[in-house]
Amino acid sequence: MTRSVTAAAVEAVLFVAEKPVSRSELAKTIGAGSKAIGEALAELEEWYRGTGLRLQHEGDDWQIVTAPEMAPHVATYLGADRLRLSSAALETLAVVAYRQPVTRAEVESIRGVNCDQTIYTLMSRRLIEELGRREAPGSPFEYGTTWEFLECFGLTSLDALPTVLSPEGVRSDDAVASQ
Amino acid sequence: MPVGPRPPEVSVAGFAGPLDLLLELVEEKKLDIFTVRLGELADEYLARVRALAALPADEVSAFLYIASRLVLLKARSLLPSLVPLSDDDELDTEEELRLRLIEYATTKGRAEALGDRLRAGDRAFHREGGTVELPPKGGNPDALAAAWLKVLTLTKRTDEEVEVPGERYSVEQRTAEIEALIAEQPAVTFGTLLGDQPTLGYAIVTFIALLDLYRRLVIDITQDELFGEIRIVRKIRRMEELP
Repeated sequence: MTRSVTAAAVEAVLFVAEKPVSRSELAKTIGAGSKAIGEALAELEEWYRGTGLRLQHEGDDWQIVTAPEMAPHVATYLGADRLRLSSAALETLAVVAYRQPVTRAEVESIRGVNCDQTIYTLMSRRLIEELGRREAPGSPFEYGTTWEFLECFGLTSLDALPTVLSPEGVRSDDAVASQ
Repeated sequence: MPVGPRPPEVSVAGFAGPLDLLLELVEEKKLDIFTVRLGELADEYLARVRALAALPADEVSAFLYIASRLVLLKARSLLPSLVPLSDDDELDTEEELRLRLIEYATTKGRAEALGDRLRAGDRAFHREGGTVELPPKGGNPDALAAAWLKVLTLTKRTDEEVEVPGERYSVEQRTAEIEALIAEQPAVTFGTLLGDQPTLGYAIVTFIALLDLYRRLVIDITQDELFGEIRIVRKIRRMEELP
């Protein structure tokens, strides 16, 4: 099996890119249509199955990363420390990850505690970021996760977030109505 | 749960917050989160809060808020005739608190799932490279050869050269020279100013003199292409530009 020319081009560009590249930028760079790029990305995704690499995307921004199963070797090579988060930070991160875009007040309402510190911690570790301001009284910031978050948790995209059963026993993605 | 070197948020006696404490109570008693009369947990909840003596004041308020709502629910169940103060009290219903508790339980589950992933360490890495510095375009191999030849001639010369005494040129003197030159002719190249075989000191003094003239708006400096000839042009002074 060989790759299509477009897939090979996409792979080459993503290989040298140091941050995620949007599909439209890929299309412009390579001179192919958005649909062709989509097919090429799907082809690469398939191609990387069982290799040391993987395709990761945050929305429409794509990136080649190492396969999470190879993390121990890569971490040893890079001398990387394992990320550690307190349970409080993990809770805040969980709310942001599953509920994004979300405001600080919403996070605090769900957790029932002040979240200034944990949001600051998560921001400084580049796990979450300010997405913009919400058009609401006080124009609060909305937060969302970053591509570094996907990387740290070995997720290929937000669709790959672990599914947790709610107490009702259903997929809890949006089972509990927010007020 | 693994905790970093210094947990950023105070978690007292293992509780991440007031909802966590309530959830813990429900789970400890093996109660069904969907049917438990939350008001019945009021006494126990208060007892636990009292035990959290060392809690900072701003944290304790969040616990007391939940506690007060539990007490209110209990009071209502004891005195069914108790009428809510206003319709806005809808927020104080048991169902609203239950929904929050369920949502919190879900969040906690998700946080644990994320924590498990983190502990498993199966993370991805991206390629971490320095920015690629591309050499300027239009490299010419002949130019390289010519430059090398020039270097060779220069080295030959230095061998015979006698050491030049320092401080032979002053910046002031050189500035005045260039200023006089530029007053006569509108433009001159940097190469002309340097002459055929400038010494390092002469080149540096000339360069500093040019910078000074540029700063004083006496000259303009242009260069058409990378590594091309640097042209020093007499600047037409306008009144407003005079210092």
